[in-house]
Amino acid sequence: MPCTIAMAKQLIDTYVAELPPTVQKAVHQSTAATTAKRYQLLGDDFADADALRKLAGSIRQHALEHLDTYLARAEESLTARGAKVHYAVTAEDACRAVTEILQAAGITKVVKSKSMVTEEIHLNDHLAKHGIESVESDLGEYIVQIDGDHPSHIVRPIIHKTRGDIARSFEREGLGDYNDDPETITRRARRFMRGKYLEAGAGITGANFVTADTGRLVLVTNEGNSRFCLAPAKVHIALVGIEKVVPSDSDLAVLLNLLGRSATGQQLTVYTEFINGPRRPDRPSGPEQMHVVFVDNRRTEVLASDCKEILRCIRCGACLNVCPVYRQASGHAYRSVYPGPVGAVLSPLLAGDKFQELADLPKASSLCGACNEVCPVDIPIPDLLLRLRHRAHEEHVPSPGTPPMAGFAILGSHPLVWRSAMTFGAAKDYLPLDKMPVPYLGSWLKTRTLPKWRGGKFRAWMKSRQHS
Amino acid sequence: MSAAREQILAAIQAALAPLPQRESRPVVPHGVADAQWLAGEADNAALFTKRATAAGTRVFASPGDCLSWLFENRAAEVYLPDSLRDVTARFAGIVDVVHEYSRAHVDEIDAALTPAAGAIAESGTIILTDESTPDRLAALAPWTHIAVVRKETIHRSIADALAALPDDPNVIWVTGPSKTADVEGILIQGVHGPGVQGCLLV
Repeated sequence: MPCTIAMAKQLIDTYVAELPPTVQKAVHQSTAATTAKRYQLLGDDFADADALRKLAGSIRQHALEHLDTYLARAEESLTARGAKVHYAVTAEDACRAVTEILQAAGITKVVKSKSMVTEEIHLNDHLAKHGIESVESDLGEYIVQIDGDHPSHIVRPIIHKTRGDIARSFEREGLGDYNDDPETITRRARRFMRGKYLEAGAGITGANFVTADTGRLVLVTNEGNSRFCLAPAKVHIALVGIEKVVPSDSDLAVLLNLLGRSATGQQLTVYTEFINGPRRPDRPSGPEQMHVVFVDNRRTEVLASDCKEILRCIRCGACLNVCPVYRQASGHAYRSVYPGPVGAVLSPLLAGDKFQELADLPKASSLCGACNEVCPVDIPIPDLLLRLRHRAHEEHVPSPGTPPMAGFAILGSHPLVWRSAMTFGAAKDYLPLDKMPVPYLGSWLKTRTLPKWRGGKFRAWMKSRQHS
Repeated sequence: MSAAREQILAAIQAALAPLPQRESRPVVPHGVADAQWLAGEADNAALFTKRATAAGTRVFASPGDCLSWLFENRAAEVYLPDSLRDVTARFAGIVDVVHEYSRAHVDEIDAALTPAAGAIAESGTIILTDESTPDRLAALAPWTHIAVVRKETIHRSIADALAALPDDPNVIWVTGPSKTADVEGILIQGVHGPGVQGCLLV
């Protein structure tokens, strides 16, 4: 359902205009279907899903506001169980920590499980530069990798690709003749990935949560790829954003029950893995070394900002699925690792001194509030978007596509001017407005009709009530 | 490295210092996130069977059922660890059985049975641990994996299972077969892990 953007263009609009209608339709259908499944399941399973979302939000907010305590405790718990904990201030530091671990162990081949923070720090590019082969094992992420593309959705990275696109990529990569049957595509990936798992020296993962009390890294996947990354490999390296820490295992009861339902409409994701150390010496499989790299990469700046609530995010993608703008624009329009409403907040914040380049994203929203209503950790995304719009204004970021509001500001702040406008405004019913050289008005009226003037009626009504 | 640690912790403390008060730890009552229909279910094993089946797991009520299914589905080579001999004593004459899991022959095993550490009735989930699983690959690489769950180890809810997480460096919950919907949202089972996830209840 392409919608005509009649206003002067914001940057995101140019992406919408270039998006093939087939992709737009696919994105719209699949996000709408997931939203419906989520809604159905939460309603079936919980008498008050809203209260649960708010509890989850409070768990996450508490963890963030005590992050100094919980992060140190998580480190202590992991270290006590034989894992090695590293800290990385910047993306470069995180990449360097990984290559140092791999080089020390003499490893040149790794397999990766899907992780947003590794996208954020461009780990694969860094490893390639250091002569380390890194293969994405999640089917969608693998296709993104061989195509030199970027994920367009947090949970469904190739929501923008058709089976034909994938079949052509597989043919090009020598995985078999052109065949666009989804089952054949999946079997070919299975066979190819088997070899990669068995020859890899290390498995690289992210983490959905880390519990401070027990040091458990929680990883959820549907494909089972994270488990495979951690079966034959000798070394496990987990890259974890510092904000992922929660106090204890019991908090996971709330968070895991909301994560699967919010992300894919599943009660639980197929594989939920809890890892807090290298394998014990008497066991035949599993990594002998476990490294956890806690990554800051500007998260502490976000924590210090007035948008810290965005760090509650558990990366379920529900706000993308429900967002009318994401549904029209798809993920690449957000020009960053995190698309959709969460991305419109997080991406400019993580951009640091490049804030200005992404400062238009918070305006790619009608502030309808649906993102907040579906958020499993109740992030007030519309409020945060407004705070970032304010920041962009304060920093004098140019704002193409925004109609000038100075005239309205005069009207709205001067009662006398307002009152006379209400009286004389009736003249507009007799003017050829669509032909007048008022910026934006002509294009706006192309798809809309103004109602007949009723200005001043409310004031008159109020006055009559006061007199009676 | 420890400089990075100090820098990050200091930055966190500086970020949090201006807060007039910090969000207190919310009370999370046990079972607050249980599915509302859980209270009406009396029998853990029956609920587990229902939920596991709904998640796509094939539940076998007896070793005989399991054996017939393996036979009918022409599982040529079946891995059975020694620890399961009491459950699967009759298998050896009917299907080809191997007792050692060898990494060199990962793709030759059609089906593997491994002992589970427990299960969750609410979600139909199988719980595997390093302690219970002879080899992580054995429970993952074959097309068919059948976890052997003892009825008395079934937890009622997800919250109960979390409260009883064992002291094991690797615990994995399995709720159905490996699956993806990455290609045009079409559900395909058996991406990396088992295409058939089974569970033998004993």
